[in-house]
Amino acid sequence: MTAPTNAGPSSASLVRLVAARELSTRIRDKGFIISSVVILLVIVGAMVFQVLAASGDDETRVGLVGGDASVTAALQAQGEALDVDVTVVEFDDGSAARTAVDEEDVEGALLAGADPELLVRESAGSTLEAVVQGAVGQLAIADQLSAAGITELDVPEVAVTALDEDAAADAQRIVTAIFGVVILYSLLILFGQFIAQGVVEEKSSRVVELLLATMRPWQLLAGKILGLGLLALGQIVAIGVVAVAAALAFDVVDVPGDLISTVAVVIAWFVLGYAWYAAVFAVAASLVSRQEDLATVLMPTSMVLVVAFFIGIQAASDPGGVLARVTSYIPGLSPLVMPVRQAAGEVALWEIALAVVLMVLAIVLVVRLGGRIYSGALLRTGGKIKMREALAAERT
Amino acid sequence: MLEFDGLHKSFGDVRVLEGVGFSVAPGSMFGFCGSNGAGKTTTMRIAMGLVRADAGEVRWQGRPLDQATRRRVGYMPEERGLYPKMKVGEQVAYFARLHGLDAAAAARASEDWVERLGLGERRSDPLEKLSLGNQQRVQLAAALVSRPEVLILDEPFSGLDPVGVDSLADALLAQVREGVPVVFSSHQLDLVERLCDSVGILARGRMVATGTVDELRRREAGRLLRVVVPDAAPRWADGLPGTRVVSEQAGDTLLELAPDADDQSVLSAALRTGRVTHFAWQQPTLVELFRGAVAAPSTQEVAA
Repeated sequence: MTAPTNAGPSSASLVRLVAARELSTRIRDKGFIISSVVILLVIVGAMVFQVLAASGDDETRVGLVGGDASVTAALQAQGEALDVDVTVVEFDDGSAARTAVDEEDVEGALLAGADPELLVRESAGSTLEAVVQGAVGQLAIADQLSAAGITELDVPEVAVTALDEDAAADAQRIVTAIFGVVILYSLLILFGQFIAQGVVEEKSSRVVELLLATMRPWQLLAGKILGLGLLALGQIVAIGVVAVAAALAFDVVDVPGDLISTVAVVIAWFVLGYAWYAAVFAVAASLVSRQEDLATVLMPTSMVLVVAFFIGIQAASDPGGVLARVTSYIPGLSPLVMPVRQAAGEVALWEIALAVVLMVLAIVLVVRLGGRIYSGALLRTGGKIKMREALAAERT
Repeated sequence: MLEFDGLHKSFGDVRVLEGVGFSVAPGSMFGFCGSNGAGKTTTMRIAMGLVRADAGEVRWQGRPLDQATRRRVGYMPEERGLYPKMKVGEQVAYFARLHGLDAAAAARASEDWVERLGLGERRSDPLEKLSLGNQQRVQLAAALVSRPEVLILDEPFSGLDPVGVDSLADALLAQVREGVPVVFSSHQLDLVERLCDSVGILARGRMVATGTVDELRRREAGRLLRVVVPDAAPRWADGLPGTRVVSEQAGDTLLELAPDADDQSVLSAALRTGRVTHFAWQQPTLVELFRGAVAAPSTQEVAA
């Protein structure tokens, strides 16, 4: 016989085979591709929106008939004060200006003189009117002051002192962290669903019996979690890179270093959160045999995730509060709360260490106990299996 | 030699297997029969490590089957199972890799088997697009692709049309010719009779009969006598010493004789009723052997 005489693939290579299958199946899945593209587009879109909303760089072209350079200077100075780019176009006479206004070459035309007049097509926009009115008024005041013999006017300049110089940077980090929590939550839900569906698919199609004839349940579980985990990590890193690149390109942030460290913190917490939620979702899914029953068993865990999400958002406005403080240590909640606290900068190193240790312990517990439930439940089909039964039925 | 030895298994209070044992020589086919719930699937699942036996073990070449050696066993579960959305070729290659083939060998073997089972054109289709019969072929390909040393198939013929049955039978016979021991369970006893070198009948968790079909026949032969006496009055055979009437219809009578009963006295009794058109020992079919073995408890259990 030509059958292989070796002892068969090692644990590591079995886990790798399962992981590779999960990865390649999911990466070719239309739903996954579409959702990934949508997430990236939303991020870039949000940046673009922010840029447009924040810029407020209005532009206006004003025609000018008569008047000297001081009028032009006054118009432009007034524009600057009102955050409007003013372009002054000079015309020789009133009729040329009228034509230009009619053809919408300029927004309006100022006929300077003792009785200044503003020509507009239908009505003057409030900005245009403010610019022109301000400029004309200022010139008039200056004229009258100089007529009265006052040439130098001493207007004190207001000095601005920021009480909390870091506030701006903090706010930016918190916004980034909230953004991160939203992404984290979405990906945890998405990949939790992927894992759960995959487990039920193997049960409902009974392929699991064939799989378990060649490997142990923990190898199958580890392969699934690792395979999808790599994909999830790839996706969140891609999102992080795109977000940072877009933020820098559009000049949304001032302190790139803070942004990058916050993104790194979010990704690190994602890894911990994913390991825990993926294991819990997989074990819960192993208790049912049909996709229709999935929602019921996933419900408690999904609720925890939703609660964690809202606490995370809340923590952004009150990072030092009792709620945020306590929940940032609780495994399962910490991945969505601690990054926000860390971003707000109100957390000691020991607190982070404690949260990480507790989370890692929780992961170990879920993998060990959950692995036993998973083993016991995989080969039992029909209806929903109770966790105790699954533990009792564990085969090896 | 593939040996099932003294398997015991209880699920709660239900004792499913109570000392199941049989052996299958390399290059021979073993038909595993038994009524529903007799414990066939449990026996096979124990062999595949899917159920843990309370006692007993399954050995291949003298060593108990374990995780490593099970990879050299081709298995087809009773509940067919493959990934519905995975492409046929990739799927078969995946199972080849799980059984220890490297990537290139797995791809080659997958292509080979998919072609051999007549699915070449469907290689890139997802499994769920195939007809049930073709899905069954893919299932067989998944079991055979790693060139297993042993084949354990649970109800491989169920759900196949006659053509499918023939092509599966050919594939299994080809494996047997290469020296692979094949164990399969089936309710289709005519198939078992046709294909198998030896047969095991499982009832109530015990093997009630094992051996070649001929051996079983010989064991049972000399017990059933068919006598056709068209002119006899009804119940003509009642009270003949050492006999029991199994059935009687218009003179066509089936008698079961005790070992010490005299068949010649039955013949003379028959002649006394008039014409005797048929008088012969009945060659039991496997179906009759099966009924006899399954129906009558304990009294006629035969040592393997």
